[in-house]
Amino acid sequence: MRERVGYLPDIGEEIIETKILTFTRKGEVLEVEAPLLTMKQMQLVTEKVKTASSEVLKNMSITEIISIIDTAIEVLLDRHSTYRKKAEMLLPIVTGYDKEMIRLGLTSFLKKFRKHELQRFVVEDLGNPLLLDDFQPRVKRGYSKAVGPELILHVWAGNVPALPLWSLISGLLVKSGNIGKVSSAEPLFAGLFAQVLVEVAPQLKDCLAVVWWKGGDEAREKEIFRYSDVVVGYGSNTSLESMSRRIPVTTRFLPFGHKVSFGVISNAALDSRKALTTAHHAAFDIIQFDQQGCYSPHIFYVRKGGNVTPAEFAQYLAQELESYQKRYPRRTLTLEEMTAAVHWRNQEEVTSFSNPAKQVFGQTDHHWTVVYEEGAAFSPTCSNRTVKVIAFDEIEDILPSMLPYRKILQSAGIAAAPKELFRWAEKFGNIGVTRITALGKMTSPEAGWHHDGGFNLLDLVQMVDIEHSAEEYAEYFAAYVD
Amino acid sequence: MEQQQIINQLLTILQSDSLSNDEFNQNALQLFAYQFTNNLPYRKFCQQKGKTIRTVKSWKDIPAVPINAFKEVALTCTPPEEAERYFMTSGTTQGVKGKHYHPTLQVWNLSMKTYFKRRFMKETEKIRMGILFPTEEEMPNSSLARYLALAKQEFGTEESHYLLGDNGIDLERVIQELEQAEHSGEPFALLGASFSFVHLFEELAKIGRSFQLPAGSKILDTGGFKNQSKEWELDEFYHELSRVLGVPRKDCINMYGMTELSSQLYDAGNEQVPSIKSGPHWLKTRIIHPLTGEEVAEGERGVIVHCDLANYNSVSSILTEDLGMKVGEGFLLLGRVQGTEAKGCSIAVEEFIKAATEPTR
Repeated sequence: MRERVGYLPDIGEEIIETKILTFTRKGEVLEVEAPLLTMKQMQLVTEKVKTASSEVLKNMSITEIISIIDTAIEVLLDRHSTYRKKAEMLLPIVTGYDKEMIRLGLTSFLKKFRKHELQRFVVEDLGNPLLLDDFQPRVKRGYSKAVGPELILHVWAGNVPALPLWSLISGLLVKSGNIGKVSSAEPLFAGLFAQVLVEVAPQLKDCLAVVWWKGGDEAREKEIFRYSDVVVGYGSNTSLESMSRRIPVTTRFLPFGHKVSFGVISNAALDSRKALTTAHHAAFDIIQFDQQGCYSPHIFYVRKGGNVTPAEFAQYLAQELESYQKRYPRRTLTLEEMTAAVHWRNQEEVTSFSNPAKQVFGQTDHHWTVVYEEGAAFSPTCSNRTVKVIAFDEIEDILPSMLPYRKILQSAGIAAAPKELFRWAEKFGNIGVTRITALGKMTSPEAGWHHDGGFNLLDLVQMVDIEHSAEEYAEYFAAYVD
Repeated sequence: MEQQQIINQLLTILQSDSLSNDEFNQNALQLFAYQFTNNLPYRKFCQQKGKTIRTVKSWKDIPAVPINAFKEVALTCTPPEEAERYFMTSGTTQGVKGKHYHPTLQVWNLSMKTYFKRRFMKETEKIRMGILFPTEEEMPNSSLARYLALAKQEFGTEESHYLLGDNGIDLERVIQELEQAEHSGEPFALLGASFSFVHLFEELAKIGRSFQLPAGSKILDTGGFKNQSKEWELDEFYHELSRVLGVPRKDCINMYGMTELSSQLYDAGNEQVPSIKSGPHWLKTRIIHPLTGEEVAEGERGVIVHCDLANYNSVSSILTEDLGMKVGEGFLLLGRVQGTEAKGCSIAVEEFIKAATEPTR
């Protein structure tokens, strides 16, 4: 099977070179053909996208843009549309994730970009959506308008499907030209979205591009970074750092590094009736995309004093993971990942010898590992359904071990009573956590969330002020002046 | 069985020419029973896997201990404080180094000498050596320092020398030695860590020097050369080694050793890379599927497991982090499983550790 991915605006008669990326899953082979532009073609694309977006997108109202995105999302939510079918068929091969997991994941993700959610998205950041269309009066007098950059370059990473939509749609909402570089691990979905978008709104055909080059390609990146007003980068700190060295000081860089997340469970969620559901929710957060997301939990802190003890909860969690394995099996790991998993597991086993309170559940040939421990250090696992359950008495006991990692903390999934929720949220917020969410919802952030504590749109735009003085001054020069 | 009995038996095996599969199996099972009985953490490890003296019927069933375990527990059949020497692993997990205890170095020494002679020295009895590594006195807990010291002591001529100074390679000294060899026509052996050779290339390149060592000269490199100023491809490395020193690639031998073992493995030169590596008759290597532990078919990639009878005091079977492929009587070493980076945006352990040690910006 061969599939051409990406999306290019009209740059005339050009021969586009492609790079073939091969994916195999359970005997199915998919060759993905990704556009690899020459420097000159890259320049043509950036110019085209800049011009078109300033002529077309910038002259559309935010309401129009939202409704176009909404229509495109409708198409992708429709299980009978060819695009959706293609995504459901090809994404499992590309990413290795289970088909059903992808299907459900896509739906729950795409739902967040429908009209009402998008409106919320805009209001969330700007208060008044019309700021994107026109100068709006301000309380302090004067007027302001939010102007998006001419060109945003997105450098995506990772294999979690559809994730590029967050930044791409944000870029569209601020009426910018957008060029996205897909990752080699999931080069498919961003281009697919672009194709749908242009099908429902042909006038946008030259306003965006989705391309590929090998991450870290210095010459290419240096060149294109020069043309971009904003670069939104995803990846490890090492790759972001090397990216930042190639970005000129006049280009704004918004780096999204890798992050680590965890869950916290109150004893209130551990009575005999609720504990099973709690474990079910926790297990879902682990199995969804095999913990590859920045929002995926690696540790569950479980408070002592419930009807179900933390150690028993670990056992519940192990059972839930085992039953999820039947419904949504883990993707096939590479030899490297398997070896890492086995070593991680073995090491946990070995350390449990000198620590009688520590327990390692499951066997090497299980597709998950749960470790129960008391007073353990805060540390990510090797992902792919490996998790630690750590017992605690008071929330204050676990905070110090997280403190050194404030730069890389992200989500905390919480199962607790309202009072506790707010008390804990306060504590976690102080040490660097930027998102508190329900257990079972860790892998699907709400529309308008502050990704890593930042703003989706506000960080992209530039505010233009008309000060009151200018307005007043202009009055002198009006034709109607007496 | 008593320790002394085990040692005596081993010394006999090490001096013999070969070992039948049955004999290997029998010895491995005996050793397993001894280690299961006397090495407490190992016994727990086995029990966790449901393996006991009764259920382990073949050397292939012996639970292999991941090298990381050496950092977590003392894997020894005798009290650690009674050990004549311990070697420390180079890699660390959050600052902790693993220790491999040797109640006596008798077995380790004989293992080294016997197989070094067979795979590196071959017909040669003594050769003038230059060593690109610190001395045993400088690094008493390095198994590689011990290895090279023993090589020099047993197989080096009187004129053999260490060629490192206080600040790394003593370039002047190295050039002197190489020139001397060129002039005298007497074969010369240069031994050391792979990364030292990389430094040597760089230094020699700066001054534009290269050498043509006399016939019969040899090179022995060991370890990797990752994290150097430049990432070297294997092929490039041996090409350069051969070009700069004028030693044919068939005489550039790579030793594959681990602190966690008591024996070493070698290739028969590096005309082609990756080369086929193999160990002595008292060590067997398996290539396994990491999750099932089953051996993979010849020509398939898997994780390398060694069963080294000379590891009598710790654990005979070691699960490495190296990937390999079985080829004929040996295997190809395909590199180390680096802390695999997550495919998504979740953080990898190594990056995580780095995050905590870096100053907040």
